[in-house]
Amino acid sequence: MKKKTRTKFVRYLGKQMKEDFSALQIYSRDMSKLPNLTKLLFNSTPDGIILPRNAEDIQRIYNLATETRTPIIPRSGGTTGFGGSIPYNKGLVIDCKGLDRELLIEPIDQTVTTSPSIIFSELQKKLKLQGFSLCSYPSSYYSATVGGWISHGGHGIGSIKYGSVVDQIVEIQVVLPNGEIHSFYEKENISLFFGSNGTLGIITEIKLKIKFDIPLKQFGCTFDSPVELMKGLKELQEVDPFSVWFLNPSQVSAFNDSFGYNLPRSYVAIISKEISYDEEELAFSVNFNNTIRKAGGQILDKRYITDIWDFRFKTFALLKEYPDFLISEVILPIETSAKYLRKLTGLFEGSLRAEGELISNTHYSLLLYLPIKEPISDFKKTLLMLKINKHILKSKKIGGFPYSTGLWFAGYYSQIYGKEMYKHYKNFKKKIDPKNISNPGKVCSPKMRFFPLLKLKFVIRMASELL
Amino acid sequence: MSSSNEWQVDILDAVQQCVYCGYCGICPTFRELKWETYHPRGILDQIKMYFEDTTKEELKGDISKSLFDSIFACTMCKACENICIADIPLLKIWEQVRQESFKRGRWNPALLSLYNKVKNTQNIFGLPKDERVSWADLSNMVMTKRTQRKASLAYFVGCQASYSGKMEGVAASVVKILRKARVDFTILGDEEWCCGSPVFLAGGYSVGKSFAKHNLDQFKKLGVKRIVTACAGCYRAFKIVYPRILGDKWDLEVLHISELVAELLEQKKLKYKKTIKEKITFKDPCELVRHCGLIEPPREIIEMIPGVRYEDLPSNREEALCCGGGGLLKLNDADLVRQVNSRLIEEIEYSEAEIVVNGCPTCLDTIQQGVKKKGLDVEVIDIAELIKRAIGE
Repeated sequence: MKKKTRTKFVRYLGKQMKEDFSALQIYSRDMSKLPNLTKLLFNSTPDGIILPRNAEDIQRIYNLATETRTPIIPRSGGTTGFGGSIPYNKGLVIDCKGLDRELLIEPIDQTVTTSPSIIFSELQKKLKLQGFSLCSYPSSYYSATVGGWISHGGHGIGSIKYGSVVDQIVEIQVVLPNGEIHSFYEKENISLFFGSNGTLGIITEIKLKIKFDIPLKQFGCTFDSPVELMKGLKELQEVDPFSVWFLNPSQVSAFNDSFGYNLPRSYVAIISKEISYDEEELAFSVNFNNTIRKAGGQILDKRYITDIWDFRFKTFALLKEYPDFLISEVILPIETSAKYLRKLTGLFEGSLRAEGELISNTHYSLLLYLPIKEPISDFKKTLLMLKINKHILKSKKIGGFPYSTGLWFAGYYSQIYGKEMYKHYKNFKKKIDPKNISNPGKVCSPKMRFFPLLKLKFVIRMASELL
Repeated sequence: MSSSNEWQVDILDAVQQCVYCGYCGICPTFRELKWETYHPRGILDQIKMYFEDTTKEELKGDISKSLFDSIFACTMCKACENICIADIPLLKIWEQVRQESFKRGRWNPALLSLYNKVKNTQNIFGLPKDERVSWADLSNMVMTKRTQRKASLAYFVGCQASYSGKMEGVAASVVKILRKARVDFTILGDEEWCCGSPVFLAGGYSVGKSFAKHNLDQFKKLGVKRIVTACAGCYRAFKIVYPRILGDKWDLEVLHISELVAELLEQKKLKYKKTIKEKITFKDPCELVRHCGLIEPPREIIEMIPGVRYEDLPSNREEALCCGGGGLLKLNDADLVRQVNSRLIEEIEYSEAEIVVNGCPTCLDTIQQGVKKKGLDVEVIDIAELIKRAIGE
């Protein structure tokens, strides 16, 4: 960053800006640590970090950034491994956790107005005190923020019944890169900010739909093969579940090893259902058992079900014994993905672990973990990352797509959200951020740092395919 | 300053286990300060940078500045370790980094002053030793016969209840409870030294160890088998720290006053005589609940009080909010203590309790200040004081 530019920011921000070595290193990563070799592709170490306290702060920051052409990278919980909240090529990271506001629960409308920086577990706790609940939430429930999940394009637990987070947004206030503070109410415009990784501005306030806090009861089953699992996922929609969450055989083995369980090495699914009274549970149980039998599955021993469900936010713990790991996520269609799933989970000598969540009538999300058993070189880790990417991109053939764009999948927005949406996105971006200062390098593929004739998307794809 | 092998963890090995899930963002001071340099996972990153051989020496100065600043912004409430899905011994790591800071001469003056006070006078206030039992005079109690007598139970008063005017009622209440139940007990009097908790928290290992040895010698001299205390800090020191540093020599049973009262009620040596009509809530002190796993006894003895209306705070048991006063944060950043405390005060307000009961002098003081600042009409008392009322003393 040029000295003159830095002075402008420091003069305005004072202690709200950090530039020390430790802070720059901490903010240069998200859940996954990029191998050093990726420095050839990205320079993820920021020039500074800013902690704005309100929309007006952000407005001023954007104005200064536009004037000085400084990249602005919004960050919230930093809980994904897609790189959406780390710089593509330096710039100033805006840590949105400073954006606080009083929570406003409106019981009649069943909505809550909140700051984007609130963590899901904290929001849910506050809602439960008033008898309400979130409609859906991510598996990183204890660390992900509401604003971050929207920007990441969040689907998760509860999405099969209540939709993705975008379906629950009633209103969002955003500071646009041109400095305007704007509230959006229409689905068409709200959708622009879903999965856009903060490239269209920084969300400063959110009004979400909420629901009554109905107790959840869990039921479990197993399927021997991906074909039966997919059949089960289709059939299970008939029982109106709140969540359908499943583990692949490798992840099941990890549960067995860690907890001394004796689960069959097959696909284990835990179904969560909103149930208010005992008779309803009894009736549902009969219905559920029949549905599973119809799909060719087995009913899971009751003693495991609650324990596994209670562990749903903590499955990362199963990676703690490994020196390193890689993580990614893909969205797959139920109809056509059985073969792909079998192939995917057979990769890396069967060590790729997967957890799926049904997110709509047609698709499920699949979170992938690759534990790295021995310390490996930077080069090898990069190769492994590219190999996983390659297989995620291959899902296109069967109608699948990456969960989010972030840094690794910049350029795949239209594959995820459709061509119409991409057109809408591009027009809007051009209008409000002509200098492309808001999180450059995300959503639309950037040019290579050292060889601007090529785009990053092309280079990553070529490198992946060569493997 | 020396360190002990049993005190240490392999810091780089422990840091390596972090899966970066970010759940430790529950940290009460990080929630106020917001910068990820104060996030426990960010602190682990800094520790890695600081201790790794590959880090350039010229960078270590910069790293240590941020690292030591972050480590002393910690209240040692253990919320991070409690939620850590990788089971990383975070508290031991934080203590170890504080020791490193001491070694490097990087404590702030207030911390150093406390350390010297405790080291020289064996109490956290730097007051004369012979004033240790002055709380008895103020409560019109005569403790001469109880002091340094042989008994199987010792009441360890603690520095705050011994010297602080704010806590004066705590020691008197404990003594009244013990007398009412006709329990034979002793106090160490002038020979009671600070349990060492503040110096251990600060990272001063050797001084803390000498205190532990002294207190153990005193207990052994008097034939003590059980110790009771109303201070969560002393309780933690006896339960967690002393066994770690004294090993098998430390074979005494340690009780919080709530545990002893529960036992006395069960044995019918103690009976409640008075009704308490005010709505009561209990704030679980971090050092009792998360450090030592003491959860039910305080609730049980409160709920047995005739006519009691008891309700837990929204965040309770292992998920209890920190009051902000722990980990010597008061010496490092008093404003931050108030910020952290304000979240707890909001919960107290929400609970509509008329009495907030507690089992820790630090919490008591911090909550009293928070309640006063917010202008709430709430009485904040120690659990011993509540029991004293209920038994009609």
